[in-house]
Amino acid sequence: MTRIAFVARARRQLRQSLLVVGVVALAATAAACSSSGGSSSSSSPAGQGSASASGTVGGSLTVWVDAVRLPVAKAYATAHPNVHLNIVSFDGDSNGSTTLQTKIQLWNRTGNGWPDVIFSEQVNDPIWMAEKPFDYAEPVTGLIPASLLSQWPAPSTAQCTINGTQYCVQDNLAQVVLWYNKKLMTQFGYQVPTTWQQWAALGQKVATQHPGYIVGDIGDSFSHWIYFWGNKCPLQQVQGSQVTINPSDSHCTEMASLLDPLIKGGALPPLSVFTPDFAKKYGGSDTKILMMPGPSWYGHDLFLATLHTPAGQMTAAMPLQWGSDPVTTGQVGGGPWIISRHSKNLATAADFVKYATTVFNPTGADARPGYPAYAPMATAWLAQIAANPYYAADPTPALKAAASEIWQGWNLVTYPDQPVWANTVVTGLVAGKSLSSLLQPFGHALGQAAQAAGYQVSQ
Amino acid sequence: MPFILLYLPFLIGFGVAPMIYALDLAFTNENGGGWNGFGNFAHTFEDYRFLPAFEHILLYTGIWLVALIVFVTGLALLLHGRANRVSSGFRFLFYLPGALAGAASVLVWLFMLDPAVSPFSFLMHHVFGIQLFVQSIAPGHLPFVFAMIAFWTGAGGWIVVMYGALNTIPRELEEAALIDGAGPVMVALRLKLPLIRRWIAYMVILSFATGTQLFVEPQLVNEASLGLVPDTWSSNQFAYQLAFRYGDFNTAAAVSVDLLVIGLLAAVLIVTRTGLFRRGD
Repeated sequence: MTRIAFVARARRQLRQSLLVVGVVALAATAAACSSSGGSSSSSSPAGQGSASASGTVGGSLTVWVDAVRLPVAKAYATAHPNVHLNIVSFDGDSNGSTTLQTKIQLWNRTGNGWPDVIFSEQVNDPIWMAEKPFDYAEPVTGLIPASLLSQWPAPSTAQCTINGTQYCVQDNLAQVVLWYNKKLMTQFGYQVPTTWQQWAALGQKVATQHPGYIVGDIGDSFSHWIYFWGNKCPLQQVQGSQVTINPSDSHCTEMASLLDPLIKGGALPPLSVFTPDFAKKYGGSDTKILMMPGPSWYGHDLFLATLHTPAGQMTAAMPLQWGSDPVTTGQVGGGPWIISRHSKNLATAADFVKYATTVFNPTGADARPGYPAYAPMATAWLAQIAANPYYAADPTPALKAAASEIWQGWNLVTYPDQPVWANTVVTGLVAGKSLSSLLQPFGHALGQAAQAAGYQVSQ
Repeated sequence: MPFILLYLPFLIGFGVAPMIYALDLAFTNENGGGWNGFGNFAHTFEDYRFLPAFEHILLYTGIWLVALIVFVTGLALLLHGRANRVSSGFRFLFYLPGALAGAASVLVWLFMLDPAVSPFSFLMHHVFGIQLFVQSIAPGHLPFVFAMIAFWTGAGGWIVVMYGALNTIPRELEEAALIDGAGPVMVALRLKLPLIRRWIAYMVILSFATGTQLFVEPQLVNEASLGLVPDTWSSNQFAYQLAFRYGDFNTAAAVSVDLLVIGLLAAVLIVTRTGLFRRGD
């Protein structure tokens, strides 16, 4: 074979190969495009029914719920055979994901496809949903009778109220209490603390007397809502378009100094409670969790369903107070229901939300995991919990008291602050830095996120 | 030409038209408003997430490309020196990890990187001193982790391509070299390597563009780590956030155009330096 023939053949082969690679790339692109719209499974457009805001309940309704709210949607469909319910389950917009922002932007651009009702796990979602450019939320005041709306606790209503108009109703309250393992506390001979100082002193004792046991955790994306919200640290105070972020405030620095020795000693690990690592180290039948400040839904969702802590061990105590200050506590979650302003079937949408928040209250193993926000239902739910043999002692007095002690100086904002905590502070703690040294970088990063979202930042 | 006719509508629909749309968005104001010059570009450049995102992807692409060039070429040359049956077995073996495409491979890697469930946990414990998943994905490790994922999902395919390229070298050339006294190493480095130079250049151009457009890996790790890895780790993610969190499609388009320019510059540089399209030898 001559050299020219070789070169010509090589070039021909190169050309053919390029073509093959091109076709493969094209096929991959087409596959990616066709799979990207997969999560919304409903095929019929929302709000095709004849009912209107003042009309009758019926027709077609599309609702987006997370896995935990799936039972309520299914129960509504069973109880209302005249409503054609399209249920779409999604990630609940958890951990600062942008699922809902993305979808709403796309629906707004195409001019259709909006679901009638959305449940979000992120309590701050209604804030941006009520504003431009999203403009998704419909005020609930005209849709749900005022006599019902007045049964939500005032702090809960305040969280759903944006510029004087109420845009959502909370599904559940997520007040922080002190969860503790009664069996272990008795076994070790410890008293349940009532102040943060007592709790921290006990934590240091645990680290030396019973290494491996923990008194809390600080590795979740929402840990600052537990430790800093509860202690009145001004990291999110909104006035109009201005947000105050002041990590130098003594309420923040004192808490950080209190937590640092515990983190260093291993009694307060920087590990998310929802990771396999955490379950392996601290969960299971020989649980190593002695105490854990955390929201009301920890009882069912975390200790029972995730960590499989045996029955007859866990219960809740009053939220910890700072020295002799009045008790204030934080919250984690408390997801809201939001109705779409684009819905053509507002009457049914409102009926669905009313059902989900004021009617649906199954008993036994199907019981609601979270503390119902609607007060009359909370009473019924608390009675169930008080009689639940899973808890070592009645946790309801603490849960009930904490519901009205959530500090109202921590406002909800349009930007997600929880990922900022995770990727600024938690990664630093894992790398061995002290919480006190990370407060300033955290404040700085929060300020950048706030500015990017259009807030003016002050210290 | 008949081949191009099939390809052309797709190229225009999915390649050229979106690019023109992005250019239009990048140089105009919101809502189809007036000409904005480089306003959107300046705005994104001043954003606190812009430089870290580009630093991340350039570092990642650098690590990945070096690994790709060295190992793909090296392994292909080694395979080509082996008997046919052995080499086809190894070719299949190398190709196998690449059969797990995109998101699926990232999920497998998430398990591999978690010392609690990883089959290589002993390696992570004793060699790297990693006890927890959060340590595996510490910020400093991420460019290496993503480069490793990308390498194993893409290298197999490229090894097969390189092997194909090596097969185009006529046996006479190799035999002539052997008769002249060249050993297998000399043949590989002095004869085969220069002859597949253009294929390597082609691999680098395509991989550079893929590398700078990294999205799926950091996005999935962001969600799997419950937010420990920022959702604007790569520049493509940053563009995505601008578009969908802030509804600012114009600045998002500006970041996309930045990526296009970087990709084009790299391609031009490589094409002119290696003579990829130079005719005749």
